[in-house]
Amino acid sequence: MREIARMIVVLSLISAVSGLLLAAVKTATRERIEEQELFYVKGPALEAVLPAHDNDPIKDRKRVSLPGGVELLVFPARTGGALTAVAFEASAQGYGGPYGLMVGFAANAEQLTGVAVTTHKETPGVGTRTMQQAFTRQFRDHPFSGLALKSAGGTIDAVSGATVSSTAAAAAAGQALALFTSGRPAILGAFQ
Amino acid sequence: MSGFGKEFTKGLWREIPPFRLVLGLCPTLAVTKAADNGLGMGLAVIFVLVLSNMAISAIRNLIPNKVRIACFIVVAASLVVMVELIMQAYAYPLYQKLGIFVPLIVVNCIILGRAEAFAARNGVIDSMADGLGIGLGYTVSLTFLGGLRETFGAGTLFGQAVMPAGYQPLGFMVEAPGAFICLGLLLGLMNLVSRLQGRKSPASVSELPAQCRACGSCYRS
Repeated sequence: MREIARMIVVLSLISAVSGLLLAAVKTATRERIEEQELFYVKGPALEAVLPAHDNDPIKDRKRVSLPGGVELLVFPARTGGALTAVAFEASAQGYGGPYGLMVGFAANAEQLTGVAVTTHKETPGVGTRTMQQAFTRQFRDHPFSGLALKSAGGTIDAVSGATVSSTAAAAAAGQALALFTSGRPAILGAFQ
Repeated sequence: MSGFGKEFTKGLWREIPPFRLVLGLCPTLAVTKAADNGLGMGLAVIFVLVLSNMAISAIRNLIPNKVRIACFIVVAASLVVMVELIMQAYAYPLYQKLGIFVPLIVVNCIILGRAEAFAARNGVIDSMADGLGIGLGYTVSLTFLGGLRETFGAGTLFGQAVMPAGYQPLGFMVEAPGAFICLGLLLGLMNLVSRLQGRKSPASVSELPAQCRACGSCYRS
C-alpha cells in the first residue's frame, strides 16, 4: 500500500514540475514563435498570393473584427501607398488535419489574386500536389463566381488522386471568399 | 583518467551511438540528408540527453523501481518539448527541416537507454559526462554521415559547393537506400579499424563487467 502511494506521489510530482517548466518555456517563447511563423510560413505564402507591392505586408498586418464576431489577421499589399490587395488565412478539413490556405483578394476588382498553402498534414506526394503551381495557379485572378471544384459545378480542376486535399483547398478558398464578401467594408476599411 | 573524462570519452569512439551501440538509428537514417541537418539534430539530442541524464541521476533515489520508465519518459518528453519550442523560437528553418524527428527524440532509444543503463545508477557529474560524450558522439556521427551523403548526393557540404563543377550528383545518396548503404559501409569500416587495432571481442562472458553480463545484447546472437 505504501509502495503504491509512493509511486503515485513521485510520478505526480515529476509530472507537475515538468508541466510547470513547460508552461514557463511556452509563455516565454510564445511571442517569438509567432513572429518566426509569420516570417517563415506566412511570408513566402504572402509573396505568392499578393501582387507586386512595395510595402511589408507582415509589418502592416492588422487584426480586423468582422460583424458576427470573427477576427481576421489581414495582410495588405500597397503600391505607392494605394491598397491593391489584401490577404488572410482560411482553413478547411484536409486529409490528415487542418488545411490552412492564404487567400489574396484584389482591392478594386471582384477577383482573387491567388492562394498558397500555409499549414497542412496531407500525404506527401499525393495531397501535397495541391500545393504545387499547377493546381494553385488556377486560383490566380479567379473571379468570385465559379470558385469551386468542377465536380461541384465550379471551374477548378481537382488533382487526380488527391480529391480530399483538392476539396479542402477549394473549401478553404470558398470560406475565405464568404468572409471577404460579407466583411468587405470592414476589411478594406481598416487599411484606407 | 578521471571518472569524468572516462565517461565523456567513451561516447566518442568506444560506445559511439549509431555505430557501436547501434541505437537511435531512425533519426540517423532519416535526417542525415545534409550535414547541417545532422548537426542540428545532434545538438538537440545533446541538450535533451545531458539534461535528462542529470535530472534522472539527481532524482534516481526517489524514483520507485516499478514506475521508473514512466518517470524517465516524462522527464525526456518535457525536455524534448522544450527543445522544440526553443528551436521554433530561435531556429525556425531548422525546425521546419527536422520536422517530426524533433518530437521523436522522446522515443530515441539513446535517451531512454542512457537513463536506464547509466543515469539511474550513477552520480550527477558522471551522468552529465556520459550524456555529453554520447551526445557529442551522436552529433559527430550524424554530421559526418550527413556530410558524406550531402557531398556525394548533392555535391555540397553545409550548403557550399565542394565538388568540381562537372560533378553529377548521385541523387541516390540522399534517398533512403543511400542512408542504409552509407551507414553499413561506415559500420564495416569502424569494425575493420577496431580489428586492425587488435581489439578482440571478449573471449568469454566472465570477462565482461557485471552490468554488461546481465544485458548481453552486445555479444549474444
